[in-house]
Amino acid sequence: MFDAKIAPIFVAHCLECHSGAKPKGGLDLSSKQTAMRGESGVVVVPGERERSEMWKLISEGEMPPKKPLKKEEIEALGQWIEKGAIWGTKETISHFSASTGNRAGYDWWSLAPLASAPVPQVKATHRVRQAIDAFVLAKLEASGLSLSADADARTLIRRVYFDLIGLPPSPEEVDAFVRECSETPTNPDAVEQAYTKLIDHLLASPHYGERWGRHWLDVARYGESHGFERNDPRHHAWHFRDWVIRSFNEDMPFDRFAAMQIAGDVMTKDSYDGLAAAGLLVAGLHNTVVGSSPTMKLQARQDELEEIVGMVGQTFLGLTINCARCHDHKFDPITQEEYYRFTASLAGVTHGDRKFQHEPDAPRATALIALLKQFREAIGQIEEPARQAELAARKQGNAPQPEPPKPIARWEFNDDLRDSIGSLHGQASGGADIKNGRLILDGKAAFISTSPIQQDITQKTLEAWVQLANIDQRGGGVISLQTTNGSTFDAIVLGEREPMKWMAGSDFYKRTAPLGGADESDAKDRLVHIAITYAGDGTITAYRDGKLYGKPYKSAGPVTYQAKQCNIVFGMRHAPAGGTKMLAGAIDRAQLYDRALTAEEVAISAGAELQFVSTPQIIARLTPAQRAEYQRLIAERDKAQASLDELNRRRTEQAIFTVISTKPQVTHLLYRGSVTEIGPVVLPGVTQAVGRVPFDLKLPVVAGHDAGDGERRLALANWITHKDNALFARVTVNRLWHHHFGTGIVETPSDFGFNAGQPSHPQLLEFLAAKLIDHGYRLKPIHRMIVLSSAYRQQSRAAASDDPARLADANNRLLWRFAPRRLEGEAVRDALLLVSGQLDARLGGSPFVDVSITPNNGTTYYEPMDREEASLNRRTIYRFSPRGGRSALLDSLDCPDPSATAPRRSVTTTPLQALSLLNNAFVLRMAGHLAQRAQMEAGKEVASQIDRLYALTIQRRPDDVEKQAAIALVQKYGLPTLARALFSSNEFIIAE
Amino acid sequence: MITTRRQLFQLGAQGIGATALLSLLKREGLVHAAPAHSSPHTSTQSAAQLPHIPAKARRVIQICLVGGLSHLDSFDYKPELEKLHGKSLGSSEKPDIFFGQVGLLRKSDFAFRQRGESGLWMSDLFPHIAACADDLSIVRSMVSDSANHTPALFVANSGFQFNGYPSMGSWIVYGLGSETDSLPSYVVLPDTRGGPNGGSSNWSSGFLPAQHQGVVISGGKQPVRDLFPSGDTSADADVAARDFAQLVNRRHMQRTGHEGMFEARLHSYELAAKMQLSVPSATDLSMETQATQEMYGLDQPTTADAGRRCLLGRRLLEQGVRFVQIFSGGPIGGSPRASWDAHENVKENHTAEAARIDQPVAALLKDLKQRGMLDDTLVLFTTEFGRTPFAQSAANQVGPGRDHNRYAFSIWMAGAGLKPGITYGSTDEIGWKAAENPVPWHDLHATILHQLGIRHDALTYYHNGIQRRLTNVHGHVLNELLA
Repeated sequence: MFDAKIAPIFVAHCLECHSGAKPKGGLDLSSKQTAMRGESGVVVVPGERERSEMWKLISEGEMPPKKPLKKEEIEALGQWIEKGAIWGTKETISHFSASTGNRAGYDWWSLAPLASAPVPQVKATHRVRQAIDAFVLAKLEASGLSLSADADARTLIRRVYFDLIGLPPSPEEVDAFVRECSETPTNPDAVEQAYTKLIDHLLASPHYGERWGRHWLDVARYGESHGFERNDPRHHAWHFRDWVIRSFNEDMPFDRFAAMQIAGDVMTKDSYDGLAAAGLLVAGLHNTVVGSSPTMKLQARQDELEEIVGMVGQTFLGLTINCARCHDHKFDPITQEEYYRFTASLAGVTHGDRKFQHEPDAPRATALIALLKQFREAIGQIEEPARQAELAARKQGNAPQPEPPKPIARWEFNDDLRDSIGSLHGQASGGADIKNGRLILDGKAAFISTSPIQQDITQKTLEAWVQLANIDQRGGGVISLQTTNGSTFDAIVLGEREPMKWMAGSDFYKRTAPLGGADESDAKDRLVHIAITYAGDGTITAYRDGKLYGKPYKSAGPVTYQAKQCNIVFGMRHAPAGGTKMLAGAIDRAQLYDRALTAEEVAISAGAELQFVSTPQIIARLTPAQRAEYQRLIAERDKAQASLDELNRRRTEQAIFTVISTKPQVTHLLYRGSVTEIGPVVLPGVTQAVGRVPFDLKLPVVAGHDAGDGERRLALANWITHKDNALFARVTVNRLWHHHFGTGIVETPSDFGFNAGQPSHPQLLEFLAAKLIDHGYRLKPIHRMIVLSSAYRQQSRAAASDDPARLADANNRLLWRFAPRRLEGEAVRDALLLVSGQLDARLGGSPFVDVSITPNNGTTYYEPMDREEASLNRRTIYRFSPRGGRSALLDSLDCPDPSATAPRRSVTTTPLQALSLLNNAFVLRMAGHLAQRAQMEAGKEVASQIDRLYALTIQRRPDDVEKQAAIALVQKYGLPTLARALFSSNEFIIAE
Repeated sequence: MITTRRQLFQLGAQGIGATALLSLLKREGLVHAAPAHSSPHTSTQSAAQLPHIPAKARRVIQICLVGGLSHLDSFDYKPELEKLHGKSLGSSEKPDIFFGQVGLLRKSDFAFRQRGESGLWMSDLFPHIAACADDLSIVRSMVSDSANHTPALFVANSGFQFNGYPSMGSWIVYGLGSETDSLPSYVVLPDTRGGPNGGSSNWSSGFLPAQHQGVVISGGKQPVRDLFPSGDTSADADVAARDFAQLVNRRHMQRTGHEGMFEARLHSYELAAKMQLSVPSATDLSMETQATQEMYGLDQPTTADAGRRCLLGRRLLEQGVRFVQIFSGGPIGGSPRASWDAHENVKENHTAEAARIDQPVAALLKDLKQRGMLDDTLVLFTTEFGRTPFAQSAANQVGPGRDHNRYAFSIWMAGAGLKPGITYGSTDEIGWKAAENPVPWHDLHATILHQLGIRHDALTYYHNGIQRRLTNVHGHVLNELLA
């Protein structure tokens, strides 16, 4: 009884609330063990319905709260209780086990493995050009309908041009195609050949990638600013856009296309393509001002992860996984825990620019580096005996000790804070203390500040021996020369801009640049010697342990610090104390110089035992033969070094906005999605909803080894693109269908769940998905099948209002005609440029910018601006696309703001759109260019100019009435006015 | 038979904009005329089942104060704060404010007194508005999700902190359509000093169809983007070009047969022509009497900008515009400040900003009232958050500025079906946090929709798997405010 009658009631009406991580009232009706009692006590007393709380609440209509059960259902429950409330054959039942009128279960059609889809038999066999047609005809014939006649050649070529490459055909291309088709009307094979040739030509065009790449960017919510408070521009995001275009053009298998966008950086070891592809994950909004409290930071991060998880689920699986963040999915069989599994799979993803090195001649560079190593060894072999001899001589007093440079102040920190050379004695604040001959700083409040310096200082050297409490601190100052109020300063600082790197800190980074030195890794365990010299020409040079640290650079300095108005502080970047400025560690010794030391001097100062031997001292100890060899080697080495430097100069560094891979934080389930209601730890994973694909990602989770970001994303990518994942294939072919026909077989291309309803042609979807897999996930064969079909080639003519097709299927879901479609804003703009002869058809590269970018105190404004400039005349996909800031033309033609994914654009017809098409300055300029072009190409005759204008814009000749009106119009107002009018014609902005 | 919104918009998604669609459908008898309004103007677009409830308001005008109005210096009288002036906040909690400097408590810079018959306490900051106290319904316990301007503005406008969600104005015109087909249904009038943080995202239609986004009407020859051709084309040429396009389009439709989208396009060009006439006439303030112009302060340099926009707002409402949004304050930042963001000095900043809008906003209220429009017009006077009761200064000082406060602020509403001359909710004794009946934006949005006859939980739009709402999964109507 339970399995047949009771379980279905629980599944459909109760388990939504009474199961899962936190069942309502503590009552979990999903298993035998938990179904009998809740928080308030026993709810079912077997054998006694009247004493059972469950019966009372249900029979009185209090439960379920919104919709009471049907009478017979209530009675069935009563009888079940009376007969002993015996549980059924399944240990647990789930509200996901079966689809109901309210939600999808595991048996939902889109989650099932691919079903075989035999090509159906139809009556109108003569219309079957592709198997697709049989599927479409079968449905039509079942409703007593049929396909419309084939569209004429002119309509068809226009349709397929816009559809495949997003641009109109030239008059010559139209003429040629029409001629080929009409010369051989009696030979259908010849027509077929002409059309097939055309299709293959278009699919091979590089503009195909621009057209279909644009569709993909809608799904990818590709925008070139962060959004939120600051909305800073992303100047390096376009590598993703170009990668998408290239991939479409190369017909990259779609499984690889998908995987690359999830884990391209991992799959290709940070190749340029891999980094660019992974840009998908971070193409959405990014909050850069997340609030000060830890809760708000966590909240912002969770919001960000939801955005990414949501996009991945919808894009590749058609599943709105993000809807399960606060509770189990309301419509689809996705648990809240599975949402957090996905989140864990992507938890290492953060936003940012990555540097990519383009190596012009990598093998040669490698060879040079090897050569340099040989020289270094050979030189060392000559040097080392001489160096040892020099040191030995010094020991015996036979050679002069090199003089260490003389500081103007020195702090030994042995017992006190005194300057052992001058009078710059220090004073402790915030609990700074001396222990074991070192100054101890806590990184919070402790610092030392000295009395004012009594002389002007311009050139300088700061030097200290320091050990750090931790190396991941960000921004603490070791020693700082500052104006006494701290407003101007030069300091030795760790990790402020780049973690674990030393830098020359300065006020507002005025004299700060990346040094490019190695990450600090030793200073936690031992004292390191750090010195920074500030030369008179502004050159700043840093040394670590007496050796050059990174590279010197030229700064805007040096600053002259006025006598009596400056001092030294230790343990903080500059006054006033607090925040990230404070250093946690110990300083053993520090010195200040009023000049920039040479490399040699720094080396001598750093070498406590005075081990340093200079080159002249070495040369003095060589034999003449050795000396010649030594000098030859040095010359050769310098030559090799110069070649390498030259190669390095030609090596270009490119920033790519993409995933910054970080170590994933531990993921917890968050009750009600609240960052303060922390549940159990959740491991990276996916959902078990997708039929037949094993949902264990097989990530190593044994103690001591948590899978890193790369492993997680790679496993996720492999799971999504698994060959048994029918959902992935279905969603992919449906996107193609959606763009070819204007409406998908599933109407919601990014949602294949309960809200999507049923596909219009389920069998066809299975067939196409299987074909995609057969073709190795390549899209072009599928495009080809679709556009070669009779279904696609139908005419679009509307039916009379009493036509049976229109009565039966006004929305054309059965495809009894080809529905005409308003072109997207991008296609309209591109067509305007092309027909006016203004299109700059260059592929790829950094975007053109037709907005003003105005940073204003923490936020960035984007205002559309219009100007006549050839560099702006590129296809619209190359437009810099910040969030906000589009022209009225693109806006009114429904180009979506890239803030959210837009798998299906709305199409509106409004007076504002009419006004833009008539009056927009860009449109008017193109009308002028088009008129000029027509004049040039057609000669002086007004009539031929008009013909040419028609041919260029709408690929046909004017009829007589139009011709008369056009002549009158042109004579009175000129040719540009006719061009302007034709831009507003249906035939220009609609593909029929 | 088209019965549901969803079906209606499925059609829309296939190529027929709802504006023209509905009139077409009506002509075909597929949809009943919306029972919401019996306007003399053509009702061009509406949902079949609206209103859900009897509507009190037919239109809305909102004055948005950008930057954060100090409730403590305007609508929230705190005698205790006067007593505690110079004392410390005495809280160990780290407040989520912007700059993080917590100075000593600071009393209001403006004197408070009781106003009108209702005896509402209001400061001298807005003397003209204070004179209308008996018409106002003040909410003193507003709270927001963010203490940063842009997200806080987004929450105020769309209920979400993120870009990409439809603004309240878009939801309203999506639900109710327009009472005019020759003007945009949702009009935005930004401060002439510049747009607010977040720019046009504040009036974006998000994932709703593009026709529902706010349309900026500005001064000059081009009050609406692309209303007229720039450059030197003659008006005759404009007409000739449009007529020719229509000729071609009509002949095209004769060949294709009856096609909704094509007919909608024809219609849209007719409406565009009407808009070219009605926008300049609506924006021509010289048609108003001298007395009216002076009442709005058009004759004074300080009040002229806001005065023009308030007067224009009234004219637009009269002509059937559904939602008018006026911004007071341009971009945050810069010096001197051009918004209400009084970090440095509340007295100086608020005095200057209030001088720009006080008389115009009061004039708008009086004007609507004398024309009988206040009965079915909802007036909103809002800001994205309030300001702190403590000064923005060093911990031991009482500086002259105040930082952002998302825990409490005041807004007011007036008109259509509200109880006038009342306050709702309250803050703690120093005005730091909402104490009694905290009101998040979702509740205010729900209340505004309710007055327009819309159930906030029933006005939805399917987007990426979710039937989205202005109020997300929240929202309670503030019944205590309703007459």
